[in-house]
Amino acid sequence: MNLIKMLHTRTLNLSYNALKNVQKVAFSSNTTNNMDTTYMEIPLYDVEKQQPLEKRKARLHYQSRKRGMLENDLLLSTFAKKYLNGFNEKQTMMYDRLINSPSNDWDIFYWIVEKKPTPKEFDNEIMNLLKKHAKNEDKIALRQPDLH
Amino acid sequence: MSALMKAAVSRSPASLASYLYRNIHVAASGATSKDASVTTNMTKAYTVIDHKHDALVIGAGGAGLRAAFGLVQEGFKTAVVTKLFPTRSHTVAAQGGINAALGNMEEDSWLWHMYDTVKGSDWLGDQDAIHYMTKEAPHAVIELDNYGMPFSRTPEGKIYQRAFGGQSLKFGKGGQAHRCCAVADRTGHSLLHTLYGQSLRYDCEYFIEYFALDLLMEDGVCKGCIAINLEDGTLHRFQAKNTILATGGTGRSYFSCTSAHTCTGDGTAMAARVGLQNEDMEFVQFHPTGIYGAGCLMTEGCRGEGGFLVNSKGERFMERYAPVAKDLASRDVVSRAMTVEIMEGRGCGPEKDHVHLQLHHLPPEQLKQRLPGISETAMIFAGVDVTKEPIPVLPTVHYNMGGTPTNFRGEVITHRGGADRVVAGLLAAGEASCASVHGANRLGANSLLDIVVFGRACALTVADTARPGDPQPPLAPTTGEASIANLDSIRYANGSISTADLRLRMQKCMQKNAAVFRQKSTLEEGQRQIHEIYKQIKDVKVSDRSLIWNSDLVETLELQNLLINSVQIVEGALAREESRGAHAREDFKTRRDEYDYSKPLEGQSKLPFEQHWRKHTLAETDPATGDTRLTYRPVIDRTLDAAECSTVPPVIRTY
Repeated sequence: MNLIKMLHTRTLNLSYNALKNVQKVAFSSNTTNNMDTTYMEIPLYDVEKQQPLEKRKARLHYQSRKRGMLENDLLLSTFAKKYLNGFNEKQTMMYDRLINSPSNDWDIFYWIVEKKPTPKEFDNEIMNLLKKHAKNEDKIALRQPDLH
Repeated sequence: MSALMKAAVSRSPASLASYLYRNIHVAASGATSKDASVTTNMTKAYTVIDHKHDALVIGAGGAGLRAAFGLVQEGFKTAVVTKLFPTRSHTVAAQGGINAALGNMEEDSWLWHMYDTVKGSDWLGDQDAIHYMTKEAPHAVIELDNYGMPFSRTPEGKIYQRAFGGQSLKFGKGGQAHRCCAVADRTGHSLLHTLYGQSLRYDCEYFIEYFALDLLMEDGVCKGCIAINLEDGTLHRFQAKNTILATGGTGRSYFSCTSAHTCTGDGTAMAARVGLQNEDMEFVQFHPTGIYGAGCLMTEGCRGEGGFLVNSKGERFMERYAPVAKDLASRDVVSRAMTVEIMEGRGCGPEKDHVHLQLHHLPPEQLKQRLPGISETAMIFAGVDVTKEPIPVLPTVHYNMGGTPTNFRGEVITHRGGADRVVAGLLAAGEASCASVHGANRLGANSLLDIVVFGRACALTVADTARPGDPQPPLAPTTGEASIANLDSIRYANGSISTADLRLRMQKCMQKNAAVFRQKSTLEEGQRQIHEIYKQIKDVKVSDRSLIWNSDLVETLELQNLLINSVQIVEGALAREESRGAHAREDFKTRRDEYDYSKPLEGQSKLPFEQHWRKHTLAETDPATGDTRLTYRPVIDRTLDAAECSTVPPVIRTY
């Protein structure tokens, strides 16, 4: 594959698309009523970028195993090991948006353990599956699963 | 975002023109495997892209982002290389706050904060760095406030400050101080979000989900780093006049730690691989009750509400170790008691390697009301119903006091021939560094302060010593090739031990032999085992050969890093024959300073440097073999300005 040629022809397209991706992020965890929410522009992770499903899933495995704190590492990596490979494209996209859009990993955790209500845009079958997974009905001690 | 896309949207068109495309052909001897017949000479093409910036930051946690923001504010074209999206760095887990003597709740002085920190460090902290950190703390916090970090406020609108352990007024004589500033319970996240957003208003390029492989050194000067883009498998040499290491701690060296799985000591290992020293690695902070296997903390509140620890015989063993305080004895006493029970064969579970925290004797309504989060955490992470069964727990790693040594300005130093020398082009900040402000033991809420102050200090030092656009001669074509060769050999590794197995072996060895309970026989066993495990990396098996989003490859590279850190921890602990702060030896139970501070100093003669232990350990490891050499460096007692802040003389530490 001629990497250089491919990159040259894609540069202009990429720059147009990239500029669209810088969006205002207003996700905040309202832990107290009189809290200022952090309205600060930070780029959203580009979930909508076209990529083969296999590559997207490989990325999601990496991103499920590597979160900001241990609690999410354990919940998401065990969830991904169980379900991710069996997801179809639509389900994969829902999972991708869920774990890559919110700025604060704690928010994802609180939604999963139902300490806070899940925002509408993430309230879907994947979230329901995650909530069920977190209940740990098999009553096992969680450890990050082996890759192979 | 790929590198090319970054350049395309970058505000400086010149960065687009600064790319070079090169193809490197690596002739590798293929995998090493048990049956020696499988050896092939393959030529593989690795695409290497070069970048040039004024400054490079490795790691986008609190320290990295604060350094990056400081640098771009001063006009330096800065690259930030991070294996995670910035707001997913481990800093986000910090829910406590930042200590600063603002004096909003009561009269306060940074001199008192300085005293508390020196005492907390058990007189192993460098007092010039502590002077710097506590004096700059109020400025650093006010700056963050001005950048938009939404601190919790008092009704009058001042930053609200709460109490935190180890913080006192009037040099320990004035009661509890309230100097911890927080953003509700999400200080860590707020710090990251604010700094990331602010830095993007300037010329700051982020290379997200790039895994930094190694530092690039030429003639002892740091020129940048080489990293792999996980999204497309291309390699990138980042050249910069100044590089800042801000890669965090190495909690994952142990079986039980509260750290995310990302905390793999990448920066300290990179420093070791280029021949630099790491300081005070043996000082690791533990918390007594983390859930077995998961690592999530079970707060002390459990024991405060009447819960207690039992061994395999169902015995409430703390009654033997601390007859009065029992389960509410201080953390290190409880941790050591738990470890002794396990070592003497009274541990629980099939491997007899943990103890039980029992809560089911408490009335369910009390559990529900007083410890609501506990029941959930126990079920989610341990599958335990606390009203019916005990929770498996063991002492859990919480923080690494050690790291790559720096002076108070954040510049990485080496200590050879009795003198500190700055490593040109390299700085470090945060948990990856050792300034040393935490010494032998870290106080709560000082860690977020450490990352903010020293991230800022690194930026200020670079602004002092360099100018944006300073000329940089091109990198030699061979610089970084050893890293590519290593990557290639790991990628095709076809041995007999999977990465997960080898990592678990290392973690269990560390947990068993170099955790809370340390004595010569178990440390020597740990030393023997860890070196054996170190050599087994040559026999590792990686099952995924791809260069794109290959978690197996990344975790194996991280294991290489963890092994270097683990060896340095064990060697340092074995050699240090005293107990100080978080390092507690059963066979040497007291601190061994240059004077015996438990007695009057008159009539005592000062012990020579080689005969006492109030000194920093420096460890150098040969990455090929794991052989580690230890040297020592004196603690810096003089402050930055004796007129402003006098040295706190050592005394016996009691609370």
